[in-house]
Amino acid sequence: MCNLPVHVSCRSNAEYMSPSGKVPFVHVGNQVVSELGPIVQFTKAKGHSLSDGLDDVQRAEMKAYMELVNNMLLTAELYIQWCDDTTATEISRPRYSSPYSWPLNQILAYQKQWEVRRKMNAIGWAGKSLEQVYEDVSQCCQALSQRLGTQPYFFNKQPTELDALVFGHLFTILTTRLTSDELGEKIKSYSNLLAFCRRIEQSYFEDSQAGSSSRGYSKGPSLF
Amino acid sequence: MSLHFLKLTPTFEVRYILDVIMKTVHARSLDPLPMQGPELGFQADDIERPDMEQESKQEVLENKVVIVQRVHIDGLGRTKEDCLTYEIADVFRAKNLIDVMRRAHEARQKLLRLGIFRQVDVVIDTSQGTVVQGVDALPNGLDVTFDVTELRRMTGSYNTMVGNNEGCMVLGLKLPNVFGSAEKLTFQVSYGTKETSYGLSFFKPQPGHFERSFAVNLYKVAGQFPWSSLRETDRGVSTEFSFPLWKTNHTLKWEGVWRELGCLERTASFAVREESGHSLKSSLSHSMVIDTRNSAILPRRGALLKINQELAGYTGGDASFLKEDFEIQFNRHLFWDSVLSASLWGGCLLPIGDKPTCIADRFYLGGPTSVRGFSMYSIGPQSEGDYLGGEVYWAGAVHLYTPLPFHPGKGGFGDLFRTHFFLNAGNLCNLNYGDGPQAHLRKLAECIRWSYGAGIVLQLGNIARLELNYCIPTGVQSGDRICDGFQFGAGVRFL
Repeated sequence: MCNLPVHVSCRSNAEYMSPSGKVPFVHVGNQVVSELGPIVQFTKAKGHSLSDGLDDVQRAEMKAYMELVNNMLLTAELYIQWCDDTTATEISRPRYSSPYSWPLNQILAYQKQWEVRRKMNAIGWAGKSLEQVYEDVSQCCQALSQRLGTQPYFFNKQPTELDALVFGHLFTILTTRLTSDELGEKIKSYSNLLAFCRRIEQSYFEDSQAGSSSRGYSKGPSLF
Repeated sequence: MSLHFLKLTPTFEVRYILDVIMKTVHARSLDPLPMQGPELGFQADDIERPDMEQESKQEVLENKVVIVQRVHIDGLGRTKEDCLTYEIADVFRAKNLIDVMRRAHEARQKLLRLGIFRQVDVVIDTSQGTVVQGVDALPNGLDVTFDVTELRRMTGSYNTMVGNNEGCMVLGLKLPNVFGSAEKLTFQVSYGTKETSYGLSFFKPQPGHFERSFAVNLYKVAGQFPWSSLRETDRGVSTEFSFPLWKTNHTLKWEGVWRELGCLERTASFAVREESGHSLKSSLSHSMVIDTRNSAILPRRGALLKINQELAGYTGGDASFLKEDFEIQFNRHLFWDSVLSASLWGGCLLPIGDKPTCIADRFYLGGPTSVRGFSMYSIGPQSEGDYLGGEVYWAGAVHLYTPLPFHPGKGGFGDLFRTHFFLNAGNLCNLNYGDGPQAHLRKLAECIRWSYGAGIVLQLGNIARLELNYCIPTGVQSGDRICDGFQFGAGVRFL
């Protein structure tokens, strides 16, 4: 969205390469910066920012919505992938263990599952049922949908970090194959969110797919 | 396995009752014997020539034909007898008295080598009365008895170690002779301020052939390598068979290791960061050793040839490569008390398949134990100050060891020190395996790093060696880190 040249590289050990243990991270010159918050600050220090046009109230509002997305959508995604037994067995563990050979793949997949479940215990989500989680996602989407209304982006005409974060999560939920389509359907029930996702995909990723050699973005899943 | 030269003076009494005269003869050990096996920890004593008081008696003892009628072992508790019968079987073949004494001494060495007895005494007596059912004592029959004291069932040890900005507590537990056939079980835990490591190992020799043995190890080892800004944790299991073949010693080993690599600090280079993560290595390796040196730490004569190969990837795991390395050393005694020593090391790593080699498998060069004059493992390909290791290397050295000038402390403490003059050379690089062997040789021959200098060597028993050298490195390539001037080194294996 900032029009900066970027090369996306997929590695099986990306999680371990990152200095904080979390993806995504960027490698710029000599520096490695991980997670969205620090990356945004890093690009801002270099002079590129999406939220320059916002005043303080709007910036605070943006931060609040980003926190909501992180607390709700991210946690729900982790819950569905690792705490739901069917999804974990059929999708998450095989996918997580695919780069490694036996018995390391089993060890690492179970280690990841235990780690996520411990985290869910710590924040109190362990007792929730799948239905409750879907309900929480639905409420979060409702709040986002209300904020978006009929505008093209969350804050008027220009995309901000909030748009990037929401797009990232919603796009992933809509295009990831799970054991049931219920989560995707919940999102699709909010038509303005769906249109929002399609719009961003068209404006920013269709171009790069056409000129994929220069951008280095591999042909991935699509909403269309 | 290291070669010990043990000179022992067992005292055993030979009471040989002639028809008319009773005489007590003390016999000393004849020749020192080379030994291989687990550590024994005996002190070296002086040899004395067999000391017979009267010449005529010596003749009698040598020429008198004797038959060993009974050999038995007293003092066995949990040790099974069948594994010991092989060690003492040789005594039955003795023909005369000197032969009996020699074979009894050899059998004693073999019993001690098993590592299950604290003490072994030999008593040779004439056979009296009925030896076994139906067999009477012969007039020239002998009865050999081994009096043994077994080691305790379990011994423990506790050490603290400090080094490399880390302190740790090491707890060890050793169970010799677990099931009665000289099996050994050891367990060690090292609990440190930074990392924790542990190891469990089970060793079983074949009854009757102590050189053939089988061992299983289970371990978790964590290491930090500041020259590459790398942290490595290995959890693994290995099984190995050792056996002698003619004059060589072979070891076949299968090893499965779960390796976890990580960056030591945030400023690690991206090339090292790319290697972070988990991988599984399952490899078969074979190693052949011919060692005729008198000591592994500071040899005065003899030679060493060691060839090791490792094939990974065909028994599972992610890593897939073929690794070869060899070690050659010659030692020769020159005029006066000086020793000339020449050694050559080399190795190559061939990746099999598309994946590039892992930083944990590559070779490293440089440091006080290899090419002196350079910082630890600081030769070869590097990225932003982190050394990545190379796929091919060679290193050679020529040393001249002499006693300290002016011989201070001669006969005592001064004998542990030696001065040495050395010339070291080596090269470490990555090869493009597509080119022919000519190109490979040329690449290994260009950019040779070498150094020369002199220093003092201190030998710590048969365990380790300390060196303080003044080195002048030359042929330094850009990217190498040197340590010219004084360099201190401690270790077991030196170039």
